[in-house]
Amino acid sequence: MGQYILRRLLQFIPVFLGVTLVLFVLTRVIPGDPVKLLAGERSQDPVVYEAITKAYGLDKPILVQYVNYLGSIVKGDFGQSIATSREVTTIFKEKYPYTVKLALAAIFVEIIIGIGAGVISALRPYSFLDALVTLSTSVLVSLPVFWLGMLLQYFFGIWLKRWTGATLYLPISGAHSATFPDWVHLILPAVTLASVSTAYAARIMRSQLLEVQGQDYVRTAYAKGLSSRAVLWGHSMKNALIPVVTFVALDLGAMLSGAILTETVFNWPGIGYTIFSAIGKRDWPVVIGSTIIVTLVFMVINLVVDIGYAFLDPRIRYDESKA
Amino acid sequence: MAGDALLKVDDLKMYFHTRDGVVKAVDGVSYELERGGTLGIVGESGSGKSVHALTMMRLVPMPPGRIEGGDVLFKGRSLIAMSDEEIRHVRGNEIAMIFQDPMTSLNPVYRVGRQIAEPLMVHKGASRAEAWDRAVELLRLVGIPNPETRVRDYPHQFSGGMRQRAMIAMALACDPDIVIADEPTTALDVTIQAQIVELMLELQERTGSAIIMITHDLGVVADVADRVLVMYAGKAVEYGTVDEVYYRPLHPYTWGLLDSIPIHGVSEKSELCPIKGQPPSLIFLPSGCPFHPRCPHAQEICRTTVPTLRVIEGSHSSACHFSGDAGFTREGVACEVSPS
Amino acid sequence: MPLDDDAAINAAREKSGEPAVRHKLEFPTTPLGEVPAGGMPTRTLWGDAWRRLRRNKLALVALGYLAIILVFAVTADLWAKPLFGEFMYVDSTTVMQTRFQAPSAMHWMGTDDFGRDELARVVYGARISLAIGIGATTLAVTLGLLLGGLSGYYGGRVDGVIMRMTDVFLAFPYLLFAILLMSVMGPGFWSLVIAIGILGWTTIARVFRSSVLSVKENEYVDAARAMGASDLRILGRHILPNAMAPIIVYSTMSVGGVILSEAALSFLGLGIQPPTPSWGRMLDESQTYMTTHPSLFIWPGLAIVLTVLAFVLLGDGLRDALDVKMKD
Repeated sequence: MGQYILRRLLQFIPVFLGVTLVLFVLTRVIPGDPVKLLAGERSQDPVVYEAITKAYGLDKPILVQYVNYLGSIVKGDFGQSIATSREVTTIFKEKYPYTVKLALAAIFVEIIIGIGAGVISALRPYSFLDALVTLSTSVLVSLPVFWLGMLLQYFFGIWLKRWTGATLYLPISGAHSATFPDWVHLILPAVTLASVSTAYAARIMRSQLLEVQGQDYVRTAYAKGLSSRAVLWGHSMKNALIPVVTFVALDLGAMLSGAILTETVFNWPGIGYTIFSAIGKRDWPVVIGSTIIVTLVFMVINLVVDIGYAFLDPRIRYDESKA
Repeated sequence: MAGDALLKVDDLKMYFHTRDGVVKAVDGVSYELERGGTLGIVGESGSGKSVHALTMMRLVPMPPGRIEGGDVLFKGRSLIAMSDEEIRHVRGNEIAMIFQDPMTSLNPVYRVGRQIAEPLMVHKGASRAEAWDRAVELLRLVGIPNPETRVRDYPHQFSGGMRQRAMIAMALACDPDIVIADEPTTALDVTIQAQIVELMLELQERTGSAIIMITHDLGVVADVADRVLVMYAGKAVEYGTVDEVYYRPLHPYTWGLLDSIPIHGVSEKSELCPIKGQPPSLIFLPSGCPFHPRCPHAQEICRTTVPTLRVIEGSHSSACHFSGDAGFTREGVACEVSPS
Repeated sequence: MPLDDDAAINAAREKSGEPAVRHKLEFPTTPLGEVPAGGMPTRTLWGDAWRRLRRNKLALVALGYLAIILVFAVTADLWAKPLFGEFMYVDSTTVMQTRFQAPSAMHWMGTDDFGRDELARVVYGARISLAIGIGATTLAVTLGLLLGGLSGYYGGRVDGVIMRMTDVFLAFPYLLFAILLMSVMGPGFWSLVIAIGILGWTTIARVFRSSVLSVKENEYVDAARAMGASDLRILGRHILPNAMAPIIVYSTMSVGGVILSEAALSFLGLGIQPPTPSWGRMLDESQTYMTTHPSLFIWPGLAIVLTVLAFVLLGDGLRDALDVKMKD
């Protein structure tokens, strides 16, 4: 087990270096000069231009920049935004809580509806309800999330508002307003962000439960005289939930990397939208710094999930040969 | 004797209704089991021997399965007519089952002890601690060394033989009247097989349980059973005491079975003589006797008329048109490696 | 953002293979139509798969739908303009009269904010989506087969490097990566094909790698090698055919995924540029008029959903027909 964690940690390093290197090279070859963009239409004093370029180290060879950058992020210094001169860490601290809030709300929806629908579906396989769940999940995974967001905006924000004479509707933009408490602002973005994962969670839950219910050890449990309910909750559920929990946890990691589409549609001030607009402004310190942090979060969660999986499943926990 | 039989299976039929047709998995099986007796049920895979046991325990998923007829009386009560609640109290309590593959029959995410303790808590109202202590005792009884520590192990930490011992411990937990063992040794190494069979016999002597031993291994049956039922294509084809079936077999299929395995002291032939062909599709059963396409002695009547299981002598019965005819014995009809 | 995360989706797909029977009761049965007494009809894997696919009504409907829109998309240049008028370039003199028309005999879905026929634009959008879907999938499969094949066949250090590369690709937030690639190459059709294609190779590579690993050990591969067949020949003639089934299933599903990615990138303004109609771009432009003219975002969205759904259902059908276990 200890060896297993150590090996996973060691794999972490080349992947992390790879991610940062790719980021650096990509941002370097993207056309557009951030220093020029900063000046906009105005003509720029070549002396000022050179000073800014030097200040951000943009005149050095890319590899030198890369190594310098790695050195400073180890110290927690992610540099400053070229556009606003604010510390990247300050921007991140300001935006990331919104992404975390949105991700947690979406995961909540995913767990309740996804797992619930999957269990209902599996308990009565090939019934009408099961067919309904299966078809809805197929449709959900085929929906572009941003279009689902727009549909929800139209229905709950525009149509419902018109129809009820502005008494009952949901906010469709931003994270705060005078009209609504903050959590109401979360509803539509969270449902939108959760949609695809909810469908997958339901599918995995269904197929896992069906598979487990057909296993020999479930037959053994019935043969012992356990009731169907005791077999389901006492024997099948734990086995079936292991992959579902893994999926949901990995999904949380993905959501915490920022939801560019959902955040764009709902004007949600999260890190995804921040990175996306920073790319447009060629504000590389913000793009690289924020991306590195969210990627780190994603990788750490993946690692935790892998280790947690080993704790959930005794076959891996005690199997040193697999480590 | 018929009145006080512990278990009486009467013309039991279990069909599966699949998209491709009706599978007659069990098609009329009858026998009786006395208290403390041991019945061996023999047949190839697909003969319905396992399904018939699952049918009695009502463990066959329905649909696609459907009981098309017959009855199973246990202590005079019909297992087939029981409510779900009643059959639940029989399972694991009065009739326990041991399955073929100990690798997959234990739940991988729970400790062995918990799984052995479970029937005690369900049926005997034992507390968690009592059941746990009893699980340790049961593990000791089935010969697991250091049961106090091994009881906390997960199934994958047990070897195949140990897992089957744990399954036996689980089956014996509530001191059942009948233990149904469905191919309990098939998945194990040969040396372990003998140990498990020996263990079961030893425990039977101690507890007085009746055993139904389902297997395709005639050697195992010869060692443990006092009565033998031979099944083919969902039907019982021969039924008798172990001596009758082994020394004076009546049905050509039984001859084939005996000829196709080398059993020291039972088969006097030096040459093996395997049965030709494949077991039939249970959807497209051959007309007449289901064994006729593979039977070297088949006549016209075998193709047209389904033979019924009938008593030939004493309690020894056979479902072959010619059983009991003079000269129609295993010795009388030579095993030939036919040219066809 | 699971939509944008190949890893999550594939993990899910891998898990959603459905068990056929609940208990493993063994009895010999013969499928319908095969009379055991008669001679066994000889059938190929593909014939068998087609027979099973034909029983899956949903997959057939999906196939039919895709065939129809493919025909419309390919022939769009021939009839769209004569039938519905100019649907790309804006005629600034008449815009104010022709914009936002309700559905009519001339314009079945009405007209957009520039007075262009909505139906013609949706149909033309199919052309873009399908072309990118097929193009990017082809690129992803080619890369995946090449790298997965190398990885599985040679093993050792080659395998290590390629597998770490897939880790890097999977660790990166998908959409962010795509956006950066699009920024490097600039917007446009080929940039989309390349960006999405490059990001899609990892799954196929892993699938093919494991196929190679399992086939490599077979004796006929040894036999071929003993007879002096080259590595490339062994990969192409002996290993690839055996790995075809899962690759076909993944490719089919992948086309749907690519269409979603293209729509997302175009929606963000990085993909297809105006005036060429693309579903994602149309959705982006419709946002302004959502309150007043909701039909402008309904039509392209429906087109995306139906097309992607068709690929998903066809993929599901193929998976069942080819009996592919979705495993990594």
